[in-house]
Amino acid sequence: MKRAHILVFLAPAVIVYTVIMVLPLFATLQLSLFRDGGFVGLQNFRTLFGDTRWSASFWNALGNNLWFFIVHMLVQNPIGILLAALLSSPRLRGAAFYRTAIFVPTILSFVVVGFIWKLILSPIWGIAPGMLDAVGLKSLFSPWLGKEGSALTTLALISVWQFVGIPMMLIYAALLSIPDEVLEAAEMDGVTGWSQFWKIKLPLILPSIGIISILTFVGNFNAFDLIYVAQGALAGPNFSTDILGTFFYRTFFGFQLQLGDPNMGATIATVMFGIILAVVCVYLFAIQTRLRRYQF
Amino acid sequence: MHALEIRNLRKTFGSVEVIPGADLAVEPGEFCVFVGPSGCGKSTLLRMIAGLEEPTSGDILIGGQRVNDLPPAKREIAMVFQSYALYPHLTVAGNLGLALKQAGTPRAEVEAAVKRAASMLALEPLLQRRPAELSGGQRQRVAIGRAIVRRPKLFLFDEPLSNLDAALRGQTRIELARLHRELGATMIYVTHDQVEAMTLADRIVVLNAGRIAQIGSPMELYNRPANRFVAGFIGSPSMNFLAAERSGLTPPAGAVELGIRPEHIALADHGIPARVTHVERLGHETLVHTDGEAGHITLRLVGEHDLPVDQPVHLRPDPARAHWFGPDGNRCD
Repeated sequence: MKRAHILVFLAPAVIVYTVIMVLPLFATLQLSLFRDGGFVGLQNFRTLFGDTRWSASFWNALGNNLWFFIVHMLVQNPIGILLAALLSSPRLRGAAFYRTAIFVPTILSFVVVGFIWKLILSPIWGIAPGMLDAVGLKSLFSPWLGKEGSALTTLALISVWQFVGIPMMLIYAALLSIPDEVLEAAEMDGVTGWSQFWKIKLPLILPSIGIISILTFVGNFNAFDLIYVAQGALAGPNFSTDILGTFFYRTFFGFQLQLGDPNMGATIATVMFGIILAVVCVYLFAIQTRLRRYQF
Repeated sequence: MHALEIRNLRKTFGSVEVIPGADLAVEPGEFCVFVGPSGCGKSTLLRMIAGLEEPTSGDILIGGQRVNDLPPAKREIAMVFQSYALYPHLTVAGNLGLALKQAGTPRAEVEAAVKRAASMLALEPLLQRRPAELSGGQRQRVAIGRAIVRRPKLFLFDEPLSNLDAALRGQTRIELARLHRELGATMIYVTHDQVEAMTLADRIVVLNAGRIAQIGSPMELYNRPANRFVAGFIGSPSMNFLAAERSGLTPPAGAVELGIRPEHIALADHGIPARVTHVERLGHETLVHTDGEAGHITLRLVGEHDLPVDQPVHLRPDPARAHWFGPDGNRCD
């Protein structure tokens, strides 16, 4: 074996990755095929999608999760791009301060962020009603986190507030990598201001926007912490903020009167894995390959 | 009316004065080259004309109209950048047509203009390619084409050949000269390469530390440099400078230094004593480096010469081609 050394050098990484990533993943897949210690094939999946109560919970969580993702795509990423565009303007003073200030929430703990916003929005001791009252808009206030219609969107916006710094930073870096001479050439050609952003800068940062979209998707479909901290494992009111992460948590570990069910939990985890895998594959093979990367 | 006029133009960056005050007029159809060592302010001057840099004071007039407060696109100028600065996401056709499209020109007209420019530069087979799929020389031609399409009053070139290899540079130089004849346009060209300056220019503006050292035709600069800086900068190998009393010639009143080009100095039986330190044989000419009491002197001899290193020689400058400079560095006759 002339090439044995390749195996030797690969071994540490492969072994560590296998032990902490691959084996647990397969253990989960395996767990989803068993019930009460016996192999049942796809029975658990049939229960999840066929049983009316299970499937209602599942589709509710999936739908909520999708909305959670849509809010991020429509609010977080456009605002991130806008902030990056403003930051990269040479006329802006104090850019370093804004950059840091907007990025700071990203390093805060979910627990802190969830708790702070619960306090801010609380109708009893929160400062939101008082602040709206001060500008004469008290009538607009409602206990957003406590109403079924608005709780999920409110939580999504809190998450946007926390993480808008990440797309901002990625886009900012992409904008800085556009050479000055290209932008000067655009100035000479009369492509200035917003037109320059749409026609020159945006096409050049499109690959970064693609990466941000897929990161947002994976992050949102694995989300759990913020909902758990702000609304508890029951994802109230009346499961209106239940996403796949919280649904999985209640099922696997049990909560209050509900007993933990590792097999059904593993089934949900497997479905989550499948959804994320499918979307990432579509992105990698269908979209990423069509996005051009530019060398300047 | 001048194609371009600059009146007392100044530029400071903080406390650094880059251009302490420049006056210049360029006539229509002229090929004007700004040349000077790096950091002499030639690019800053060009960028102020383009509108990419704001002057600290002074006026810029293009075609008789003051353009200080106009944005670059409204000045009816086009610029070719050193890095070409093509739009990487657009095809060659898209790159060529963007300025016209942005100005709201009808589609058919844009296409016709793109086609005309493409045929001038032999770009037709490349119109659907993107810049990444082009060679350096092709990218350069697209950059020039992008300028032509706009039919500007004034072309600005910022060291457009520096990123090309030597062979392509020579070829593109001839191409640019042809283009200038065909278009009859006014062109301003910045370079640090004196060969480009000498071969392309109708008039050369030599800049030194932000000041205009001399303006003149290439041969004027070569034959009658106004000062020691221009004398040393134009010509390669550069001019020899000797103290007047060691030159073996009679200096005019007030002259302290003799400048003599390597091609205007010959080997002789009597004259300035020196010793050969190095010989460079190029076939059509031989460059002889010597050292002596008068300092380092370079000779350019036509044809092949076999001179051993360390051989003592005598040098005689041609008095008809002598340049004399006063203590202030200015020419004195």
